[in-house]
Amino acid sequence: MSNSEQTKKPGMTMERRRSLTGWLFLLPGSVLIVWMSFYPMVRAFLVSLMRGKPTALEYSEPLWRNYQYMFKDKVFLTSLKNTFTYLIIQVPVMLVLALIFASLLNQKDLKLKGLFRTCIFLPCATALVSYSIVFRTLFAYDGFINAILVKANLLKEPVNWLNDPTGAKAVIILALIWRWTGYNMVFYLSSMQSIDYSIYEAARIDGASPFTQLTKITMPLLKPIILVTAIMSTNGTLQLYDESVALTNGGPANASITMSHYIYNTTFVTSPNFGYAAAMSFMILIMVAILSAIQMKVGDKR
Amino acid sequence: MKKLLAVLLALTLVLSMSAVAFAAEDGKITIWTWDPNFNIASMKIGADMYHVDHPDVEIEIQEVQSEDIETAVAQAAVAGDLSTLPDIMLCQDNSFQKMVINYPEVYTDITDKYDFEGFGEAKAAYSTVEGRHYGIPFDAGTVVAAYRTDYLAEAGYTVADLTDITWTEFAEKAKEIKEKTGKPVFCTQAGSGDWILIMIQSCGASMFTEEGAVNLKDNEAIKAAITVYADLVKQGIILETNSWDEMIGTLANGSVCGTFNGCWILGSIMATADQSGKWDITNLPSLEGIEGATHYSNNGGSSWAITQGTDVDLALDFMQLYRNVDFYNAILPTTSAIATFAPAKEAPNYTAVNEFMGSPVFATIVEYGMSVPSNITGAYYYDARNAMATAITNYINGADLDSELAQAEDTVNFAMGF
Amino acid sequence: MTSSATGEKIKRVLMYAFLVIMSFISVFPLYWCFVSAFNTSQEVLGGKLVPGGHLAENIQHLMEQQQVFTALKNSFVNTLLVVVLSLTCCSLAGYGFEIYHDKWKDRVLGILMLSMMVPFVALMVPMFQMFSAMGLLNKYIGFVLPSISTPFLIMLFRSNARAFPKEIIEAARVDGLNEIQIFFRMFVPTMRPTYAAAATITFMNSWNSFLWPRVIMKTNESITMPMLVNNLTTGYIIDYGVVMAGVTICTLPTVIIFFFLQKSFTEAIAGSVK
Repeated sequence: MSNSEQTKKPGMTMERRRSLTGWLFLLPGSVLIVWMSFYPMVRAFLVSLMRGKPTALEYSEPLWRNYQYMFKDKVFLTSLKNTFTYLIIQVPVMLVLALIFASLLNQKDLKLKGLFRTCIFLPCATALVSYSIVFRTLFAYDGFINAILVKANLLKEPVNWLNDPTGAKAVIILALIWRWTGYNMVFYLSSMQSIDYSIYEAARIDGASPFTQLTKITMPLLKPIILVTAIMSTNGTLQLYDESVALTNGGPANASITMSHYIYNTTFVTSPNFGYAAAMSFMILIMVAILSAIQMKVGDKR
Repeated sequence: MKKLLAVLLALTLVLSMSAVAFAAEDGKITIWTWDPNFNIASMKIGADMYHVDHPDVEIEIQEVQSEDIETAVAQAAVAGDLSTLPDIMLCQDNSFQKMVINYPEVYTDITDKYDFEGFGEAKAAYSTVEGRHYGIPFDAGTVVAAYRTDYLAEAGYTVADLTDITWTEFAEKAKEIKEKTGKPVFCTQAGSGDWILIMIQSCGASMFTEEGAVNLKDNEAIKAAITVYADLVKQGIILETNSWDEMIGTLANGSVCGTFNGCWILGSIMATADQSGKWDITNLPSLEGIEGATHYSNNGGSSWAITQGTDVDLALDFMQLYRNVDFYNAILPTTSAIATFAPAKEAPNYTAVNEFMGSPVFATIVEYGMSVPSNITGAYYYDARNAMATAITNYINGADLDSELAQAEDTVNFAMGF
Repeated sequence: MTSSATGEKIKRVLMYAFLVIMSFISVFPLYWCFVSAFNTSQEVLGGKLVPGGHLAENIQHLMEQQQVFTALKNSFVNTLLVVVLSLTCCSLAGYGFEIYHDKWKDRVLGILMLSMMVPFVALMVPMFQMFSAMGLLNKYIGFVLPSISTPFLIMLFRSNARAFPKEIIEAARVDGLNEIQIFFRMFVPTMRPTYAAAATITFMNSWNSFLWPRVIMKTNESITMPMLVNNLTTGYIIDYGVVMAGVTICTLPTVIIFFFLQKSFTEAIAGSVK
């Protein structure tokens, strides 16, 4: 008994020492996050339980009053519905497209690789001012998109995209896909560098189609990074603000407003209601957290 | 590793030392405002004029955007430390009451310290809360109807035909103008609610009652305005664009016959040099059957606020500029910032015929400004405005006006009910 | 044989055509912006698609209105500090979470991830109070501090570390390297593509960061490029030629950085390890 314990002991301390080293590695990053994010988050959470003027906030009665109000707020419910519409359509389409681009642009014998990669990446580096003007012009009533669609007989008459509830949402989704596909591609490309190229050659000799190569080799090997991008995109879309403001200004009649846009308005545009805005923000946290937890459960198995 | 960290740490420290000092000294006025071609340019001219008699006072003008100023006020008020704010800051007229009501500890009551005689009544009302003045009026948002005279001539009309008319008369004439020129008469941004607010203010009506309660669903002026507006949109007399830049684009490209907006729109019009001599302005059509209807209204504009705890006497001494006709005369040519101070209309640059517009438009606008009826903005102006804009859009798309306005009123009451 | 060869050829042509079209769609708004920097405001609004001769004029107006060099300097200092510090900090943490992973570390990561899920609007006021109290307004360090450690970069390094061969670590331990040495000598060089991707994205995010600098940068001496571009778009009269000149200057650094860093995605990791 005592003998076997003695032989185990050095091994255990070794393991424990490693585990401690691990904690040291993640200490600076974790401390910074706690300090820079959790501290203000706790403050914001307390505010979410309060009501009143910004400088004279007091705890509301009952405490969760702001959270209750949300479900009676028609604009909030509309923004919730809009945001989820964006999420459900945009995130999967974008991630699949990003994977396809990454596979295409990772081919060894592709010419002008750097140029193509840069081009596909560029949308996310393009400033909001310029791309929103271009998008609005293209989708204007007498714009290029209508001209093409009418000519190709896909539309009987032009659609005022941005002034139509469905059209406005469609433009936002397209804009999001356009803007962020290249961004996600970058992560897939960087992870693909750890896949040995000979696997693909072997598969090709076995007669596997590019599609099979993508689903059977690339995707399983990239699973960890796909998980990361899925969580990030879910988070990004649920906090979407830029496009709602710059492309449609939430319109027509709130048909495309996002939750973050509404929260911003509640904080700074309309009469400030910090407590309610904070409560809505924590609602977003809860939703992202649940979705991420599900994604982690599905995707983070070792 | 250690070396790298040490280097990074040192670097960080050095950079954090190179901070910019931001303390209010004696004899120094810090001003926050936006728009280098307009507010900032005019303030710089004002600072130069002030320096003639007060060479020792340092005036620092910082470019800060309107929303950032509002955010900074909120942050400073919540933190209970106003030292991060400047001495004087510009505020949008439509936000002014919201800011004063929510952050009373930030704004100085200047009712007894500044002379408000001569400023347009409606203009001064924007920065007045419960009868107390908190703002010094600056640029006018006096509404003008500006027309392309060449297009009107094509349809056989002159600007005089469109002066002092009602909206019904306007609709008849505009229909003909549209048919003959093939162009919409006006252009506005969809979903902004600008037009409705202009029209109701021209009757002295507001989205709120005197007591501050929201007043949308039983408001005859609002109903009349929305009906007129929607009708004009449906007939294609008003073109609704989806954004500001598209709207400016229609003016620049000459694809509409005119514009109906705050007088600051003249700046954008005059920027299109090839249209010189082709424009003129007049007053607005009036709403029929509404009590107090006039031909004058306001859209936009801003006023100066003075932060509490600063050297108020010094700041107000400097702000005497805004009672100085020479100042308004000096800033007009470079900035086209139009005064809301009545005596300014006698200044040489105001009475001179404007080459581009072909008439002394600036004197005319100051005059219009004196006739604008005042309205109530209050703390919930933007809540009501957004809700009403939603109702307008839905009504144009076929919904029932009464129930839409009732719903808009509920939305505002919801926000007020917290 | 020949038919499959031509089939292969057609496939390649189609693929190139697809890439060219997609590249065109991706680049078009930026192209329009570059071109517009050469045109007058009226031409920009009229949708002119070829460059004119007004670049010098636009740049001149831009320089008169705005302190472009100050903003560029601030943006570069801010961004470079963030890139260096956050890559160091987050790759250490990501490596720690993956290589020494256990149940507790996974839980900690899960909790840390919560920090990115609250919209920034809700944190603006508390963060302002915090930074104001620490005296960090208008300072580079104020800009940098909240962006150094992000759950996203930590997760990126953690997930890419999963492909890092554990045998290398074992071998290095046998060779007598300590844990820190293993990280710097083995992991860092192997993970070059990940570092390149992280650097690109961090550069871009930090360069384009807009809300945060507006909260803490309260003087014109501390403005950043996105704030400068915003300044150009808020007046009564907007000169779109000048705006596009400003946007072009603001966008170029990211484009250049990406073009050079993307080369690191071509070197297969396996080769550099062995």
